[in-house]
Amino acid sequence: MIVCLAVVGHQNNPLYIQSFTEADDALKLHHIVHCSLDVVDERVNNPKKSGPTLNETFLGLLYPTENYKVYGYLTNTKVKFILVTTDLDVRDTDVRNFYRRFHAAYVDAVSNPFHVPGKKITSKSFAERVSTIVKSFGLSSSS
Amino acid sequence: MEDYPEELRTPPVALACLVGCPAVHGLITAHLHSQQPPINTIALPDFSKISVIPLKKPPRENSEPVGGIIRRDWLSKHRTRIPAVVAALFSSDNVYGDPAQWLQVCTDLENLKAVIRGRNIKLVVVVVVVTQSGHKDDTSEDRMTALRKRAELDAKNLIVFVPDDELELKQSLSRLWTAFTELANTYYRDEGRRIKTRLEKKNFSSMELNVRYCFKVAVYAEFRRDWAEALRLYEDAYHALREMVGTSTRLPPIQRLVEIKAIAEQLHFKMSTLLLHGGRVVEAIARLRQHIGNYRKLVGAPEVIFLHWEWLGRQYLVFAQLLETSSANVPNVQSMVSVPADKPTEWEYYPAYYYQLAASYLKEKKLCLEFALSMSENVGQIDGSAESVVASAYLGQFARLLEHDNTYVMQALTDDEYANHALAEGKRFQDSFEIIALLKRSFEAYSNSKAERMAAYCGLQMAKEYFSVSEFANAKQAFENVASLYRQEGWVLSLWEVLGYLRECSRGISSVKDFIEYSLEMAALPLTNNAVEPSFKDCGPAGPASLSQRAKIHEEALEVVRGESEENRDLKVNSDYPLYLEIDLVSPLRVVLLALVAFHQQTVKPGAPSLITISLRSQLPINVEIDQLEVQFNQSECNFIIGNGQKQNTAAISHVQPGRRVETAPDLVLATNKWLRLTYDIKSDQSGKLECMYVIARIGQHLTICCRAESPASMDDIPLWKFENLVETIPIKDPSLAFSGLKAIQVEEPDPQVDLTLGSTGSALVGEIFILPVTVASKGHAVYSGELKINLVDTRGGGLLSPREEEPFSSDNLHVELVDISWETHEDHSETRLDNIQKIQPSFGLISVPSLEEGNTWSCKLKIKWNRPKPIMVYVSLGYYPRKGEPSLQKVHVHKSLQIEGKTAVTISQKYMLPFRQDPLLLSKIKPVSDADQLPSLCLNESSMLIVSAKNCSEVPLRLLSMSIESEESNGACVIKPQHEEFKEPIVHMPGEEFKKVFTVMPKVNSTKLKIGTVSLKWQRDSRNFADDKSQVITKHRLPDVNIELPPLVVSLDCPPHAILGNPFTYSVRIQNRTELLQEIKYSLADSQSFMSSGSHSDTIYVLPRSAHTLRYMLLPLGLGPQQLPRVTMTSVRYSAGFQSSTASSIVFVYPSNPHFKASDILEIRKDSIAAD
Repeated sequence: MIVCLAVVGHQNNPLYIQSFTEADDALKLHHIVHCSLDVVDERVNNPKKSGPTLNETFLGLLYPTENYKVYGYLTNTKVKFILVTTDLDVRDTDVRNFYRRFHAAYVDAVSNPFHVPGKKITSKSFAERVSTIVKSFGLSSSS
Repeated sequence: MEDYPEELRTPPVALACLVGCPAVHGLITAHLHSQQPPINTIALPDFSKISVIPLKKPPRENSEPVGGIIRRDWLSKHRTRIPAVVAALFSSDNVYGDPAQWLQVCTDLENLKAVIRGRNIKLVVVVVVVTQSGHKDDTSEDRMTALRKRAELDAKNLIVFVPDDELELKQSLSRLWTAFTELANTYYRDEGRRIKTRLEKKNFSSMELNVRYCFKVAVYAEFRRDWAEALRLYEDAYHALREMVGTSTRLPPIQRLVEIKAIAEQLHFKMSTLLLHGGRVVEAIARLRQHIGNYRKLVGAPEVIFLHWEWLGRQYLVFAQLLETSSANVPNVQSMVSVPADKPTEWEYYPAYYYQLAASYLKEKKLCLEFALSMSENVGQIDGSAESVVASAYLGQFARLLEHDNTYVMQALTDDEYANHALAEGKRFQDSFEIIALLKRSFEAYSNSKAERMAAYCGLQMAKEYFSVSEFANAKQAFENVASLYRQEGWVLSLWEVLGYLRECSRGISSVKDFIEYSLEMAALPLTNNAVEPSFKDCGPAGPASLSQRAKIHEEALEVVRGESEENRDLKVNSDYPLYLEIDLVSPLRVVLLALVAFHQQTVKPGAPSLITISLRSQLPINVEIDQLEVQFNQSECNFIIGNGQKQNTAAISHVQPGRRVETAPDLVLATNKWLRLTYDIKSDQSGKLECMYVIARIGQHLTICCRAESPASMDDIPLWKFENLVETIPIKDPSLAFSGLKAIQVEEPDPQVDLTLGSTGSALVGEIFILPVTVASKGHAVYSGELKINLVDTRGGGLLSPREEEPFSSDNLHVELVDISWETHEDHSETRLDNIQKIQPSFGLISVPSLEEGNTWSCKLKIKWNRPKPIMVYVSLGYYPRKGEPSLQKVHVHKSLQIEGKTAVTISQKYMLPFRQDPLLLSKIKPVSDADQLPSLCLNESSMLIVSAKNCSEVPLRLLSMSIESEESNGACVIKPQHEEFKEPIVHMPGEEFKKVFTVMPKVNSTKLKIGTVSLKWQRDSRNFADDKSQVITKHRLPDVNIELPPLVVSLDCPPHAILGNPFTYSVRIQNRTELLQEIKYSLADSQSFMSSGSHSDTIYVLPRSAHTLRYMLLPLGLGPQQLPRVTMTSVRYSAGFQSSTASSIVFVYPSNPHFKASDILEIRKDSIAAD
C-alpha cells in the first residue's frame, strides 16, 4: 500500500504531499520523504559515467527503512516525485507504471493556466486523480 | 562491540605452553608472538605447574540433559588455557648430567605426557644448552636418542636450543616456531575433525549440541586461519540455531528466547567480522538484513519486550562499528540506476545509517522499559534478590547464585524472576545519553557526506532526546539547526513540530524573548487547514498544526506580553524587562511583520515636501493592533511617530522625544495578509540621501518590534508563504510604485545663487595665448571656501589632451594646454598666487576662490594655448559653502561650460619667379618627371624672385608686424634679400586677405637640394587694446628645398615697356650660350596682326661657346591696347629643347600717343603687373 506521495520542487520544498494512512503519522512520513531527498541529490549529482540509464527518470529504490520502501522519480524539469510504500515486496515495473501515470496527472495539473509554477498544487481534481492512481497501485500485478 | 569479551572480538591465536627452564621463556615468548601467524604462550616455570592445563572431562553420556548451547568460558579456555602444543624444556646439564638428574628428566616427561595425552596435545622437547661444554660424544647422542624415544617424538620435534650464540639462537627460535606452528595446526585440525565427524554422523542427541559442535569446528578452523571453513560452519550453527526457535523447550520461554538471541548475536558477529575483513561488504549487509529479518518478529513476552529492542539496536550498533573499523572500501555505488531490491542502497554502506537505526531502537527500548517499569510495582521489592542473579555457565543464561553450606549453587530462574532481574538491570542505565551519542555520530557522519537532510533528521532526534532529559539549552541549539533547514526548504509541518519544541525549550530556560519569537513565527506559519485532520494531530508539543492552534498560540504570546499569562509565570514582561524584537531581511519573523517603505519621487529639492508610503503586512492569524509606529531615517530629524487614533491615551506615547513630529492615524490594525498603508509628507533640509531605516512598532506597553524597512522594488518574497496559493496583493495602491518604489530618496543640493560667467570671445587662434575671463558674481549667496575647477576636454573624444600619465608632459604632444590662471588682487600679487593656486595641469586646473560677500564679484583669466587647431570644451565648476563655518552643510555647485574653436590664423605659401623676360634652359625641366616630385629649380648665380604670401584664415583682422627669412645654409650658399623687414606701420590684414612679400634669391652653390630657410611672420590681433609684447605671435613656415642648376642657354626678350601707335620700336631676342660647346639653334617668328615686323623670319644659327647671339626685329604697332608681340620659337638641336616665350611676357601695351606718367604711378603699375602674374 502506498502510504505517502510527494511532489518536491526545485528548492526541495514540498509542492504536494499527501499521506494515505489512517494513523497520525503524517509528520513521520514527511521526515521520510525529506530524508530521501538526500539520496536523490546523491544520485543526480554523481551520475554514473556511462550506461544507457543517463536519461532515466525513474530513480528506483532510494532507501529502505524498517517498515517502508521509498522510491524516487525525477522529471525532466527536475521536479522530484517521492513514493513511500509499506509493501516490502514491490516490483520495479509496478512502480514505474505508477510513476508514469502520476507524471501524466502532474503534467495535467501544472498545465492548468491558473496554476502558478513553483507554488503548491492545490487542485482538487488532481488530488482525486492521484487517489485513484494510488488505489490501483499493485492491483494490476496481482490480477 | 566493546561489551563483547576480548576472545570474541579478536581472531583466535594458537596457544603453546612452555614448561621448565624459565630463563629462556622470555626470549621464546617474544619471538613466537612476533611471528606471522603469531603464537601465544603459557609459560610454566617448572613441571609441577602443569596441572593448570585442565584435564579432559569424561565423555558425555547421551542421556545426560544439555544445560545450554555454548559454555560461556569455552572460547576463552581454548584461547588462554588449553595449549595446542606443550614444549618441555630441559637444561642440557640435566639431560647430560648424572643418572639422578636424568631420572628426574624422565619422570617429568612422563608426568607431562600423562597430562596432555587425554587432550591429544602435541609435545615438543627442547634441550637448552646452558654452557657450550662441548661434549657431544657418544654418550650425549645416546641420551638424546633415549629422550626422543621416551617422548615418542620425531627427530624434528626434539630441538636443541642454544641461547648464547646469536646465530644459533636465531636458528633455534625459527626451528621452534616452525615446529610449533606445524603441531598447532595438526592439533586444531585433529580436534576440528574429531567434532566434525560427530556432525557428519549426526551423532548428537539435541539441537543444542548441533549448534555447539558447529561453533567449535568453526573456532578450530579460525585457529587454523581457515576463514572460509569457519564462515561456513558459523553459518551452519546460525541456521541450526534459528531452527531451535519454537522447538526448544529446555528453558522457560522468555529465557529460552534470550539465550537463542544471545547466541545468534555472537554467531552473526563472527560472520560479519569474517565477511567484512574479507572485503565482502555487500554480503555482510545482505546477511545483516537477513539476520534482522529472522529475529525482528521474535519480540518475546510483552513484559520484557524492551530486551528485544535493545538487542536489535545492539545488532545495528555492532555492525556500524564493524563497518567503521573494517578497512574494506565501500564499493563504487551505482548511481542513477534503479537499485535492485536485493542490493544495498547508498546509505547502507555508511555506518551512519546503522548508528541511526541503533539509536532509534534504543529509543524504542527506552520507551518500552519506562512502560514496563511503570507497570511492575514490585521491582523495588525484589531488588535484593535480583542482585544475586548472575550470568550462568552457559552463554545467554542467567541463574541465581545461592550460598549453600559454604558452596555456591546455581539455581535456575523462573521467567518472572528473570523479568524482574532484567527490569532492575535496565533501570541502572541512562539510555538517553547513549542515544544522543549514537545520534551525534550519525549526525556527524551524515554531515560529512553532505547528506544534510539525513543529518537534520538525526539532529532532530538528538534534540528530542535532549529535550526529554530536560537539557533545554542543548536541545534548543540542535532544534534551531534543524529549523533553519526546514525554513529554507519550506517543510512547514516539520517546522511546526520543531518550533513547538523550541517554544517549550525557551519556556524551560525562561527566555521570554525566544518564547515570543518562536510563538509568533509559529502563529504566522502557512497552515491554513481549519478542520483538524487526524494525520496532523501528533505534531509535537505545540499540538495539531491547524489555523485554530495558530490563533491559540498567538493569543498565548500576547498574553505573555501583556503579563496576563497564568500558566507562564516564569516568562516575565514588564517595565523592568521590556521586550524588544528585531526583524531584519533574513529573519524568519518577516512573516510576522513586513515593513515596506516607498518614496513617491526619486529626487526632491531640499525643504520641499515628498510623499512617503509605509506599508505593513502581517501573516498572524488574529488582527494585531499597533499602539504606535515610529519611522526612523538616516537623517534623524526626519523621524516621526504615528500614533493610534483609537488609543490616544496609551502610555506608549511617553516614548516620544520632545520636538518630534507626531502624526495620528485613524487606526493601526493589521489584518492577516492585508496591507496597512500609511502615506505622509516628509521634508528634509539636508541634501544627500534620505533613507528610511527602521519602522518600529510598539504593541502594548512593553513589546517593541523593530522592523528593518525594505524597498518594494527589491522586496524578496516572504519565506514559506511564497509557495502558497495566496491572493497576490500589492503593497502600494500605485502599481508602478509597488514594483519600483525605493525606501531612499535623493535630496538635491540647494539651488546656487551665484553666477558663473565665462566671457566668450570667439574662437582662438593657434599659437596665441587665448584669454578666457571667468567671473563669479554673488547673487544672494555669500561664497565661502570656494573652489574653481577647470577641465579642458576634447570635444571629439580621444585623449589628446591628457596623454597617459607615465609619459612626460611635453608641449609636442599637447594640442591644447592650460597655461596659467591669473586674477587681480588688491594684495601682493605673487604671494596670493602661491597660496591660492592649488593645481594647474595641461588639461586641469584647481584654484580657490576668495570669500565673497553677497553682491560681490570676482574674476580671473584662464590662459589657454592652442598648439594645433582643435575645438575643445572648457568646463568650469564652482563649489562653495553658502554659510561660513558650517562644514556639515552641503557644498553648492555651479557648472558652466563653453566650446572654443581653435583655428589656424595665417597660412603661408611661396612661389619662385625668374626675372622678367629672361628664360634659362633648365635641363631638369625637360625630363619627363611628374610635377609632384619636382623641386622648384633655380638658376645658379642668377637672381630669382621669391614671393611669400600669407593668407588670413581667421575671422578677425590681424596686424602683421614683421616678416623675415632665416637662412639655414651657412657660408652664403644663397643670398636672400631682404633678410628681415619690420613693417614701419603695422599692416592690417583682413580675414580672407592675402599678403605678399617679394624677396630676391641668388643661389651661389650648385646643389640639387638647397635649403632656403624658414619664413617667420610676426602678428597680433588687431583688436587688442593692450599691445604688449606678449600678445605677439610668430607663425613660422619652412620654405621647400630648391634645385639649383646651371642653364646651358638663356633667352632674354627685350622690348620697351610700352609702345605708341605708329611708332616703330626694336624687339630683340638674345640667346646666350653659357657652355663650352657650339650651340645650333633653329628659330622662327610667327607673324602678328597687330604689328608689322622686319627681320629674319626663320633660320638656323650657331651660337659660339660663351658668347651671345641677338635676333633683332623692328616692329610697328598697328593696334591699340595690350597686344601680343610676334612670338619667336626656338629649338636647341643639341638638347632637343624648344622654347617659346610665354604669352604674359610677350605682351606690350600700345598707347595711341605718348602718355605722361608720374613716378609713383610707374611704381604702382609695376607692382600690379607682378601681382597679376
